[in-house]
Amino acid sequence: MNAVVGVVFSSAFLAAVMRVATPYLLAAFGGLIAERVGVSNIALEGQMLAAACTGALVAGHQGSVALGAVSGIAVAALLGLLLAALRLHLGADVIIAGIGLNLLASGGTAYAVFALLGDKGGTSGLQSGSLPRLHLWGVERIPVLGEILSGQNIVTYLAFLAAPVVAWLLYRTRFGFHLRAVGEAPDAARSVGIPVRRVQCLGLALSGALAGLAGVFLSMGYVSFFVRDMTAGRGFIALAAVFLGGLRPWGVFLAALAFGAAEALAVQVGTLDIPPQLVSTIPYVLTLGALATYAYRRRRRSNAEPSRA
Amino acid sequence: MSVGTLVETEDRREYRATRRRGLAIDVGMAVATIMIALLVGFVVILATGHNPVEAYSAMLTGPLERSTRVGRWLEDATTLTLLGLSVAIPFRARQISLGAESQLYAGALAAGVVAIVVPMPPVVAVIVPVVAAMGAGAATGLVPGVMKARLGANEIVATLMLNAIAVRVFDYLVNGTLREPGSTAVHSASIQHDAALPSLREWFGVPLGRANIGLLLMLLTVVALWLLMTRTTIGYRIRMVGANQDFAEYGGIAVPRVIEWSFVIGGAVAGLAGAHLVLGGYGRLEPGLVGSLAFEGIVVALLARNNPLVVVVAGFFYSYLRVGGDIMEQQTDVGTEIVVVIQAVIVLLVTAQALPDLFKRRLVRTRVTR
Repeated sequence: MNAVVGVVFSSAFLAAVMRVATPYLLAAFGGLIAERVGVSNIALEGQMLAAACTGALVAGHQGSVALGAVSGIAVAALLGLLLAALRLHLGADVIIAGIGLNLLASGGTAYAVFALLGDKGGTSGLQSGSLPRLHLWGVERIPVLGEILSGQNIVTYLAFLAAPVVAWLLYRTRFGFHLRAVGEAPDAARSVGIPVRRVQCLGLALSGALAGLAGVFLSMGYVSFFVRDMTAGRGFIALAAVFLGGLRPWGVFLAALAFGAAEALAVQVGTLDIPPQLVSTIPYVLTLGALATYAYRRRRRSNAEPSRA
Repeated sequence: MSVGTLVETEDRREYRATRRRGLAIDVGMAVATIMIALLVGFVVILATGHNPVEAYSAMLTGPLERSTRVGRWLEDATTLTLLGLSVAIPFRARQISLGAESQLYAGALAAGVVAIVVPMPPVVAVIVPVVAAMGAGAATGLVPGVMKARLGANEIVATLMLNAIAVRVFDYLVNGTLREPGSTAVHSASIQHDAALPSLREWFGVPLGRANIGLLLMLLTVVALWLLMTRTTIGYRIRMVGANQDFAEYGGIAVPRVIEWSFVIGGAVAGLAGAHLVLGGYGRLEPGLVGSLAFEGIVVALLARNNPLVVVVAGFFYSYLRVGGDIMEQQTDVGTEIVVVIQAVIVLLVTAQALPDLFKRRLVRTRVTR
């Protein structure tokens, strides 16, 4: 037990939490925005995957990490727009369309990598480079904090900045107000002249872009290659963080951070005599419990109304 | 003969004609969807510098060229159809259960553990693990079912969480407790000889790979579920809840219980698929033995619009593409993943409901004007 406590309070572990939580945070904020605009984005997973693959391929072929990252994010945003188009113009079921997009990304990336590089596994044969780490001048010198906060990847800082930015966007800007209005009562929003469809399209594009940044981090953050299906369900976990966080920016932030911490812990205790697979189930078990409790309390509160499951 | 019955027969004929027309349109739509998806794949293969005609002829004729390939097709179709069925039942009650993965793992685990550990006489040795797998799958389905039905918890999140848990627990057990001592690769001990589902080869006398009597079990399940959905009270209730939950409740149906049943039935069938994987295919527990099968089951159910009888057709069709895709890759260097792309296009076309509706409306209009 002492060993576990020792691991948890080491600065290396806390730095690892920040690193591991990065894709969860970004994708979860993407999911949050989509959820708040009233369209569930199940396709987070596929958007991450497509962005990770595009980023590595473009960076490898063009020799520019920045160009790779931008194209990755752009592809994910386009997938967000495609989801919006399917939902809003073609009457698609948003969950099923999301599953379809995930499949498209999974098959499309694997096919593209094999067709372009002749490699089944990924793009490890391609020199694609990775996004820079930032050494924060000044912070670096603070004893323990410096080791945790400085020297992280640039995307990690963006992910942690995303929480206040998304909170500000949702609650302090006109666009955020429109976004929430459209999500809660589209008809009412329409009646006061808010362009509902445009707001939803923008929201989903933004959602995709955030997921895309998460994906770019996977293939260009600490490694410099794309591996087939490298998202490994992170998009779905991020989606769970959205609900666990109660659809609020800071709640989502904490939930995503907790998922990241649990995964980092699972990796760290792997060296001790504790099965990492079981440690990594903890957040999901907790989410399940929280989901049930939350639903139970909501049901009790609204018991006066006729129940709608 | 009274006027009433005359009118009645007239009405019935009219109704049947409408249904036939609807069915014809549905079949036509399905064929059109598949054609468009194959066309997209064709263009993609062309765009990546390969010969699509050669690739498609390998994919579309390959699976029938040898009896072992047919066997692979039958084996794959069994698993996929069962998974499609397991998804179709909750979908019919309009419950978006994405939990087939966890149920599949639970079923595989239960079947595997029983078949490895418990010594049993022949025949019983097959039946007990299969039943255990169905029970485990049903229990795994019950969890999100109860959470949704009694508490109103989001079933998508609940099933996704259960999937994440099931994968990890399975991985832990196969890496730890169940790992065969002394083997270099990670897998469990083999199941007992009597627990394996008998191969179809013994019946037909030609080598059919790993195809086994799971195929017959699957066909039986199809018929059973079709009867359940169309001829029994619980099936009627599931359909009612799916069609209009408020109306079902108003009509005196205990909606929560029906929702739970839809999850439990789906879970049991997914558990059966897990048993087929272990007892009919791998013969032992291996990490990652489920792969992406669960989501492909969703695709099969969608393509079949959740109708059990059509699910078989969709399952056979889709596994044909999967087996064909592998053969195509061996013969022409075109990645088998193109099949997943084709499948994704199918899903997107099927769910884009406004498309066929536009088309249908047009058909109806031409009929009226004529």
